[in-house]
Amino acid sequence: MQWVKVPLILFAVLALVALFRNRQRVELRAGSRILAIVLAAAAIASIADPGIMQRAAELLGVGRGTDLLLYILVVVFTLTSLGLYFRIRESDQRVRKLARALAIERALREEGDDPELAPVDSTEPRRVQPPGE
Amino acid sequence: MRTNHDVWVVVPCYNEAPVVRQVLAGLLEHFPNVVAVDDGSRDASASEIRKSGARLVQHPINMGAGAAMQTGIDFALHDPGTAYVVTFDADGQHRVEDAVAMVERARESGVQVVIGSRFLGASSVGMSAGRRMLLKAATVFERATSGIALTDAHQGLRVFDRSFAEVLEMKTADMAWASEFLQRMSEVGASFEEFPVTVAYTDYSRAKGQRSVNSINIGVDVLVNRILRGHR
Repeated sequence: MQWVKVPLILFAVLALVALFRNRQRVELRAGSRILAIVLAAAAIASIADPGIMQRAAELLGVGRGTDLLLYILVVVFTLTSLGLYFRIRESDQRVRKLARALAIERALREEGDDPELAPVDSTEPRRVQPPGE
Repeated sequence: MRTNHDVWVVVPCYNEAPVVRQVLAGLLEHFPNVVAVDDGSRDASASEIRKSGARLVQHPINMGAGAAMQTGIDFALHDPGTAYVVTFDADGQHRVEDAVAMVERARESGVQVVIGSRFLGASSVGMSAGRRMLLKAATVFERATSGIALTDAHQGLRVFDRSFAEVLEMKTADMAWASEFLQRMSEVGASFEEFPVTVAYTDYSRAKGQRSVNSINIGVDVLVNRILRGHR
């Protein structure tokens, strides 16, 4: 039993639950930014000193630095995919609401049902002068 | 004979130009208020709808059957006189008589939702055995996820009153709308009844209809929506 599995599994489960439940929270967005910065810093550090990855892996009981990298990659990829999935879902929802509002407004305007949306009377003289006159 | 002036019939329509005009004309004989939602069709559906005399609401982009349904419901609710909303398929598989009878039934019984069922006595013309089994399985699935027990869970002909239409607010854009509909019924505790209807499976509707494999997509979507809903 490699002890790295315990935090990895726990982290995966907790992250999933947290994402599902609080995906609108500011804390979550702040957390993901901090995570991104930490990972970027770790990436730069491991370029400067490639031995860091191996030492970290041995510390965690993974054995090889490349394996640790793979585990981190899997976690980050899962979180990124879920985050994008939620974001696309919400964005789709917004597009639908917008298109729906547009479609309904146009239909009401067409028939002149809603006085506020009634078509502008074209026989009325235009008060706005074209530019340049 | 009632005039049904307080009823809006919502007909979502996507690439149904060959049949939609006839379907709408049939509806207009019994219902003065019919709105067809053209879900960004690439064929002549919109102009066919205009010619039929029904109201046209046109999505600028294709968004799916559920989104079109919700657009039609929103449009119907703009009319303060709306008491009932009927959903009706554009491909001609439903019978107008069934819709009329279901509205009558809703008025008599006072239930909020009347859902058509293909498995309550009335026969359905041309339904394959495989489709029948799949629909049976769907009712079991719906019972498990929404707690609403129906004999036919995925049926487009539904009648509901204003109070339910106002709280429905479907978020599902695609064909899984039928499941979200049931789930909303269970969430708000809507009173409902089933009503036997006849569905005519013509070559046209069969060609246009759902492929059975799509039920997997619908099932997964329903589960995902179920997990995500309520935590917005």
